Amino acid sequence: MTDNRANEPAAAEADDNGVGRVLGTEHTSTREFRVVLDEAEYLQLDDLVVVRTQVPKQGEVHTYGIVTEVAAIYEGANFESDTHRIAVEGTLPGAKVRSAEIAITRVDPELWVSPDPGGKVERAKGAERDKALYVDEMGRPLPIGLGRDGEPVYADLDFFDGRKGGHMSISGISGVATKTSFALFFLRLLSARPDVLGEGAANLRILVFNVKGEDLLWLDKKNRYFDRAATDSWQQLGVAPGPFPSVSFWAPPRTQSGDAVIPDTGGRQEGVAAFTWTPREFIEDGLLRFLFTDATDSRNQIPFIEERVRAQLQRFAVDVEGRPGAVVLRDPIEGHAPGSSVVPNPGERIIGDLKSLVTAVEEFVDPEDGEPDQKWTGRVQAGTVSAFVRRLHSASHRLGHLVRAGESRQIDRRAAQVTVVAIQTLHDLGQRFVVGALLAETFAEKEQTGQRLPLSVIVLDELNKYAPREGNSPLKEMLIDIAQRGRSLGVLLVGAQQSASRVASEVMENAAIRVAGRLDAAEAERSEYGWMLPSTRARARLLKPGTMVVSQPALPVPLVLEFPFPPWATRKEEVDTSDVDPFSGL
Amino acid sequence: MGQLHVEGWAPEYGSPYETDEALADSGKVDDTIEVDGPWSPIRGVDDGVGQIAFVDGVRRIDARLTLDEADGPVPGICGSYGVGAVVWDRDAVRSDFADLLVDRLAVFGNGCGAPIPPDTQIVYRSESIPETDPGMLIQRFHGAMRKAEARLSEKLAQGGQFVVADGPINDLSATEKVGYIKTHRAPYLSQEKSAIMGRVRAGERTPLFLIGQGGAYPRYSWYQRLVDSADGHSWSGVVRCEVSSALTLEHAQRIANRMAAVLQLVGSEAHIDPRAPQNLVPIAALERELRRRLGDPAFVYRALRSAVAGAAVEA
Repeated sequence: MTDNRANEPAAAEADDNGVGRVLGTEHTSTREFRVVLDEAEYLQLDDLVVVRTQVPKQGEVHTYGIVTEVAAIYEGANFESDTHRIAVEGTLPGAKVRSAEIAITRVDPELWVSPDPGGKVERAKGAERDKALYVDEMGRPLPIGLGRDGEPVYADLDFFDGRKGGHMSISGISGVATKTSFALFFLRLLSARPDVLGEGAANLRILVFNVKGEDLLWLDKKNRYFDRAATDSWQQLGVAPGPFPSVSFWAPPRTQSGDAVIPDTGGRQEGVAAFTWTPREFIEDGLLRFLFTDATDSRNQIPFIEERVRAQLQRFAVDVEGRPGAVVLRDPIEGHAPGSSVVPNPGERIIGDLKSLVTAVEEFVDPEDGEPDQKWTGRVQAGTVSAFVRRLHSASHRLGHLVRAGESRQIDRRAAQVTVVAIQTLHDLGQRFVVGALLAETFAEKEQTGQRLPLSVIVLDELNKYAPREGNSPLKEMLIDIAQRGRSLGVLLVGAQQSASRVASEVMENAAIRVAGRLDAAEAERSEYGWMLPSTRARARLLKPGTMVVSQPALPVPLVLEFPFPPWATRKEEVDTSDVDPFSGL
Repeated sequence: MGQLHVEGWAPEYGSPYETDEALADSGKVDDTIEVDGPWSPIRGVDDGVGQIAFVDGVRRIDARLTLDEADGPVPGICGSYGVGAVVWDRDAVRSDFADLLVDRLAVFGNGCGAPIPPDTQIVYRSESIPETDPGMLIQRFHGAMRKAEARLSEKLAQGGQFVVADGPINDLSATEKVGYIKTHRAPYLSQEKSAIMGRVRAGERTPLFLIGQGGAYPRYSWYQRLVDSADGHSWSGVVRCEVSSALTLEHAQRIANRMAAVLQLVGSEAHIDPRAPQNLVPIAALERELRRRLGDPAFVYRALRSAVAGAAVEA
């Protein structure tokens, strides 16, 4: 009879990693093949396997792959009702056959041949597992989570910190996709593993914007629900679990607090500093442009008049004697030296906040009596001037409290490794203003030095608000600039959004590492997620919180990983107030 | 010895030979051994038999051969057959194949013979018969399969299994071995007795009658119905069974009752099997499996041709 048993000693299969044989009833290829599983073995999604194939004239080739689907069927059943005959009546001989679909990740040595039918399929463990995941070829493998087998999964930092690629993009449904949690988890590993990060670890600075709730205001506090199982997972990743050791918290001042500057936060006051800009800083840093970040602003000539006014303010502003941070506007023709202070003339308007600044600008561009000063308006049409002034007033109303004279309360990103800026209480306009101001500051600093190190990481959720696909704004332009040039300047963006399809494509395309949590079913079908395998896409709507799909240039297939519970609190109720140190003795 | 050739035309061509015809006999029938008088249907009784082994075989002519001898061409055939069993374990509620065997045989006529050059995977035994009639060649080949079936049935029955074998039985061993005949070519019942078939319902049987008396293998036989169908004729869904008369009449009755009760459980469905319900589910599966194990016909034919051609070159 015809018997094509593979010529291998059967005895050797007793105590090895064999799980089955390459299916011989359909073609194997260099992309995929199927495994028929042994009776006493199993494979689940994302398991890693290896097949050894003898190639004529070349020798042994190892084919590595990842399980993308598993299946089972009754062999011998030709009709649906045969299921009953086999399972219930037992009158029809039939056998359950289980198989798994494998997407090939790697062939080593690189000889692109398909695995032989009947070839023995083994679970890839240890060094074989590392090869299946290209860990052996990664310059600096950083563990970024645990695979389904409980072993670490790695990302090559060369593709994050700018050496070969930069930036990370995280997509997923709000609430269950745990985008921010993953970003912080990743940054904790990044900062806790200087042995992997190398030179970039020194003076690493992380800027995080808290845009919803107060989730991020407890990064320095222990989480009382952190348990033993989570501890084990963290140790698997080579990091002693603990809250972020060095964090500074910043919040805008309360609006109705008079002269006292109190941070506008709910659950936490202690250790949170209020931030403001003085009129001098506002003018000097050219922050006026970040009052015009609505995507529709760029359709008319507002950017033109804004640019003119910004330049004029820088020429006209003069410090006021005895009023730090305040300025008066005087024509440079009057001859004040740069950096000098003046005593204001009687009746001269002293600019101590945004409201007075707006009033002063209005006097130049749209005076109640008389003609607009064309040096300030740049001869734009009257309608544009009105629109400009209207927006100025609206900005003054919404974020006026962020600008006030007095001592400098600018956010100091050098104060701690992680800087958390709480902007959740601000109006959209205010949020965009703060993000724009800080990104500009960060980027300008790095542009001046031209050095990649020290690294500066920016975490920004709801990226679609700052860099929407449609329209233009100074903020979007800056984010695109960071996405395109930040890699070489060591400014790394960790952006998160519900739908990648609503974020500027230039920003998305430049992210070397792409991550997705649970996705909306329709969203998962979009081309922005073309990096996922069809099977992964189908599964993306089922991902649990704490499970992410990660794609990186070093690996041809996306990996599914889990990341452990955070040792830091994410709500006030989670803060461990006990004196007992749960991490002692670990 | 002459040169061996594999003929190019379809192997089964020109052989509409009913190979089991010879086994059917209509001789004297004793229809009084169980019930002496008017017949009425007898309801089957499931005695809870734990395992039933269904035995069957399949065959296929792989190629026609011609041996080019000095005194003229000698016809031959070569074919593959498989026999095996399905053991239905009613307690474990499952069925498994058992004792599957595939054999390949070449038969030459005219008392001549030639070895078939072996291929790496396909090896034919070679036999010869004195006749030259192609039908007789096939008869010999078919007989080899029937013998293998009988050997397997006897082996299983000797091992204590209750065996249901496809086709008539022809031996005298007093084991629990039932011959299962799907078609009704020879009339065994008198016109008067035949009328009972209109009244036999599913799960019932006729009384036993003795056939083959005076022949080599007298058997007890009975008819039973597998399924009631509204639109069928009085013989639709009916099969005939037989057991060796070496068994006691009581033993034969017990087996007949068991068959009437149990066999209807494994009858096939008309929309699945054109030979339903007589072609039993386990037997259909067994035939499918055996056919699969005979190997792909095109592959076997090609291997045979290349083996014969290779031998010719070497010679």
